[in-house]
Amino acid sequence: MSICEIVVASGKGGTGKTFIASNLAYFLAKSNHNVIAIDADVEAPDLLLALGGAKGILWKNEYYGAEVPIIDYKRCMKCWKCIEACRFEALRKGERGPIVDYNSCEGLGVCGLVCPVDAISFKPRRTGLLYAAYSSLDILVITGELDLGGKNSGRLVYELKRKAYDLGKKLDVEYLIVDAAPGIGCPVISSLVGASLLIIVVEPTPQSIKGAQRLLTLAKLLDIRSVLVLNKYDLNPGYLGKAASLLGVPVLGKIRYDEMVVSAYTSMTPILMLAPGSAVSRELKTTFERLMGLLT
Amino acid sequence: MTIIAVSGGKGGTGKTTIAVNISLILSRVRGHKTLLVDLDVDNPCTYTLLGVSLREVVHVKSFKPEIDELKCTLCGECTRYCPTHALVLIADKLLFLSSLCEGCAACLYVCPTSAIKEGRKVIGWIKEAGKGVLDVIVGEAKPGERKTDDVMEETLKYALKKLQPYDYVIIDTPPGTSRGIYEALKASDIIVLVTEPTRLGLADLKRLYSLTRGIGRPIIVTVNKYGLKGGSYRELEDFLSREDLPSVFIPYDNSLLRSYIRGECVIEQQPQAPSAQSLLQLTDKINEIEIKIKKKGLL
Repeated sequence: MSICEIVVASGKGGTGKTFIASNLAYFLAKSNHNVIAIDADVEAPDLLLALGGAKGILWKNEYYGAEVPIIDYKRCMKCWKCIEACRFEALRKGERGPIVDYNSCEGLGVCGLVCPVDAISFKPRRTGLLYAAYSSLDILVITGELDLGGKNSGRLVYELKRKAYDLGKKLDVEYLIVDAAPGIGCPVISSLVGASLLIIVVEPTPQSIKGAQRLLTLAKLLDIRSVLVLNKYDLNPGYLGKAASLLGVPVLGKIRYDEMVVSAYTSMTPILMLAPGSAVSRELKTTFERLMGLLT
Repeated sequence: MTIIAVSGGKGGTGKTTIAVNISLILSRVRGHKTLLVDLDVDNPCTYTLLGVSLREVVHVKSFKPEIDELKCTLCGECTRYCPTHALVLIADKLLFLSSLCEGCAACLYVCPTSAIKEGRKVIGWIKEAGKGVLDVIVGEAKPGERKTDDVMEETLKYALKKLQPYDYVIIDTPPGTSRGIYEALKASDIIVLVTEPTRLGLADLKRLYSLTRGIGRPIIVTVNKYGLKGGSYRELEDFLSREDLPSVFIPYDNSLLRSYIRGECVIEQQPQAPSAQSLLQLTDKINEIEIKIKKKGLL
């Protein structure tokens, strides 16, 4: 059976991605589905916290996400072809040959490709960490951290997803739940590539709708089926219809604002577990049941 | 001239709300010539909150392959060398997937028949608006293009060339801890770190705080949504006192929430509200720190 990959994203930060993703992973696990949760917000990874914190680390690896050039000045004949070819202004002329600005280098290796005398070799550079852990609620989470001040978090996200698929095949996993980064950039594109479904989480504000529209433009380019979850809808009920019609995608569900969500994070427990009978939990369940109907 | 960066790690803690409100206080209330720079290129919202319309001033561009189908022999060399798999050979066609391209131009150099030419694509825009005493520079990424960091860095570079006429420059940053954010923090004199009293807000604040350490600028932590029930207050207060960080608390009152939902600014709509008053306190705190660093001769 192929793995169903569901991405939770938003365009704007703080609309409730981790809230929806953590509760969805918990809901699926409780319904006896085999699930892996992926935290693809590698600049601010919080999904493991929302699922109870790590109980046991399965594995932990450093991630080498860039190949940085090392110049052999004995071989270099100063033709400067590498400087011409580099699109990132990461090389400049020096006495003995090109000097590398490692801050600007994207590690994609074009300088080595054009060097006529093989004076450039490459060394992998660490750009982050990735690890798999069982949360204290026994949910398998694959998560990563981009090194502070790092670049190209999208490459780390690809690697997280690759690891999740490898592990998922071994463990007969049915669902991958991807908690994406805010925005529409490099990490979000990596989250969306290959996904089965995108859940766009919006709150009833013009800022959030604008972010969602931008995300939707991206999802259409990548041809990903999208649905909407209207979070905190009761903060501005009049905006509901407008939001849905502006975005023009099916509404999967609407979830009210409840201050208990904050306590749920404080106690590191999904609200579905903390307060299963609450109105907000009922709305989450209805939303997730509808999602199951949509997928089968 | 003083540059103030507003950042915080987590999304939705109130970075933009705070950046826009202190910009309004400095400019309209206190009469200083102010520039607001919006680096949240994925979803810039400062200008919508201010209700200004922008004009495009720069197209940010990157390399893209221009494929000459007559010369292309479908040999697949480019697809093998493309480090991000943006070129794909499907049946009898070479496809270019722009969203995957990082613009390194490897394809251009490996094509044996010179079927790939240097092309340019727009990856974003730099836009401007003037609103009397408050001007705005906004970076905006084009949806579908992945080099949003580049748009951020280009916008910052552009803004840093235009500082001369201003008393204050406020830089609003996106969520996260990326290189672009680091550059913005490094360019500033004072850093305002915005968080909320939740466990997630604190976890992300700590990451960003580690990033600021090497930079050595004075920091003010602003705890937004203060009073939110069930929050992780003890952990947050422990952290603030352990690191001895000056802090300002913005209460989560109805005025702030209502103006945010309508896409407006509390300092203009409800200047008497407790949240608006604490935004004034934050501005005073910024001024205090400014005086201190001026005394030390750092400004």
